[in-house]
Amino acid sequence: MKPVLLIAINFAREQRWPILTLLLWVLLLAFLGLVTDVHRQREDLLFVFKQDAVYVLAFSVFFGGSAIYNERRSRRILGVLSKAVGRQQYLSGLVLGVTIACGLYCFALGLTGSWTLGDAGFPIARVWFLMICLVAACALAGTVALMFSTFLNPFFAAGATAIVLGLPALAGQLLGPRWGYVIPVWELGATVVNSSFGSPGKASWFPVVLAAAETLAFWLLSARIFSYVDIAVAVE
Amino acid sequence: MRIVLEFDNVAKEYRSFASRRRLRALDGFSLAVEAGEIFGFLGPNGAGKSTAIHLAMGFMRATSGSGRLLGEPFGHPATRRRVGFLAESVALYHRPAQRLVRFYGALNGMGGTHLENRARQVLEIVGLQDHANRNAGKFSRGMLQRVGLAQAMVNDPELLILDEPTSALDPLARVMVRELLLRARNAGKTIFLSSHLLSEVELVCDRVAVLHRGRLARLGRTADLLQAGEQTEIVVRAIAANHFDGAIARDGVVSFSVPAHTQRAALEKVWALGGEVVSVNPRRRSLEEIFLEVTAEPPSSPGAGVS
Repeated sequence: MKPVLLIAINFAREQRWPILTLLLWVLLLAFLGLVTDVHRQREDLLFVFKQDAVYVLAFSVFFGGSAIYNERRSRRILGVLSKAVGRQQYLSGLVLGVTIACGLYCFALGLTGSWTLGDAGFPIARVWFLMICLVAACALAGTVALMFSTFLNPFFAAGATAIVLGLPALAGQLLGPRWGYVIPVWELGATVVNSSFGSPGKASWFPVVLAAAETLAFWLLSARIFSYVDIAVAVE
Repeated sequence: MRIVLEFDNVAKEYRSFASRRRLRALDGFSLAVEAGEIFGFLGPNGAGKSTAIHLAMGFMRATSGSGRLLGEPFGHPATRRRVGFLAESVALYHRPAQRLVRFYGALNGMGGTHLENRARQVLEIVGLQDHANRNAGKFSRGMLQRVGLAQAMVNDPELLILDEPTSALDPLARVMVRELLLRARNAGKTIFLSSHLLSEVELVCDRVAVLHRGRLARLGRTADLLQAGEQTEIVVRAIAANHFDGAIARDGVVSFSVPAHTQRAALEKVWALGGEVVSVNPRRRSLEEIFLEVTAEPPSSPGAGVS
């Protein structure tokens, strides 16, 4: 477990500048929210909150899809895997690292959302539930992207991830809402996007648990694929 | 003698997905490295040296054949706890040298004051004790290579696998690395050293293998390889240069080399021609000559040319 934590923390540390930029963005928007008349502008505040929430999903795909590629291109992966670290542990570290990076963002968003939306009358408990939904969606989206990045370059990995995450959403629209839960990233995102002051929505833990289980499944699949990949050759 | 690194008829083929081209980097490669020796692994660029090392470290899988590292099949993570590895192009995270070495030590399961002391110790060994708190991202290539060596040694490994460890080092640092390798061998460690610096290899290695186009072209004790085909250099006066093949006339003397076993006949010929012998010196071959000889040969069948 120690190598997994070390790799995860190291990943988050390596991504510190994008994470810091995102955190500053969240804080800036929260500050702007605080200086406005929250009761008159509350719909705008909620809109900005949702927008920030959706960004993190895109960033989780970006973090997951480029993690292995960057490490291979810089050849730093050789230093890590030359130690007593299995490939499965290495991938676990990256999945955890992506989740930590997105979790930090969601935590900051939850804090600022509590200040701004809480003042405007949005239930604070609901804000944190939405953040849990987001973290679960990010972990799953990041793991799917990581799986594709074990054998595709980041651009194609992101494309493939978009297709895999988008197809259940499309099926949900065309064939019935249950199909949306096949890979519940869209459903979890929709929980956030569809929240409103009038109907904050019902807190259903089912998609969160499903996302956690699927994250585990995709992680296992990634580890299986990654165990066959030659890591010391040119990544292109 | 215990074998610590073993390749058994290993082949590695790279396949290009787009062009469907295949490149055989290793072909029928077999080798056994014994415990307690410094083993030199030589070959021109593209010979397959790094491929062999990466297979041993478990970074890639062999197309066919197998190998063992410290008694376990290649790619066994727990075994790597007893191995130190330095890659050809050192790539490290940007953080203070001491923290970096501690990070790599921690990945090997080390911790606490033992790791802290060991990190300090290895940085001192590679001469970076005064730069321990400087960010490795701002280091020169030579300093990076030294941090790389430090992280490879932090776990006090039984086997050190070093891919071009001195390529970016200045002569002083090279001497330091050479002494470090000799000390490690005296302490019972095994060193598998891939290098293009043949003079270094000649000085420290007990045995060498020369790889050419993915196949083992030469293997033997360094001293034996250098002695094989030993030559004698003869310098004479008062005869014409055209009496001996390859003779060079300069400053009133003629110098030429002959195989050691024909030395007597050559001297008698000089005297018969009325010449005067100025000097007779045994001339050992250098690894460079052997290297050039091997790389000039056409590719052999697997295992051929192994002495």
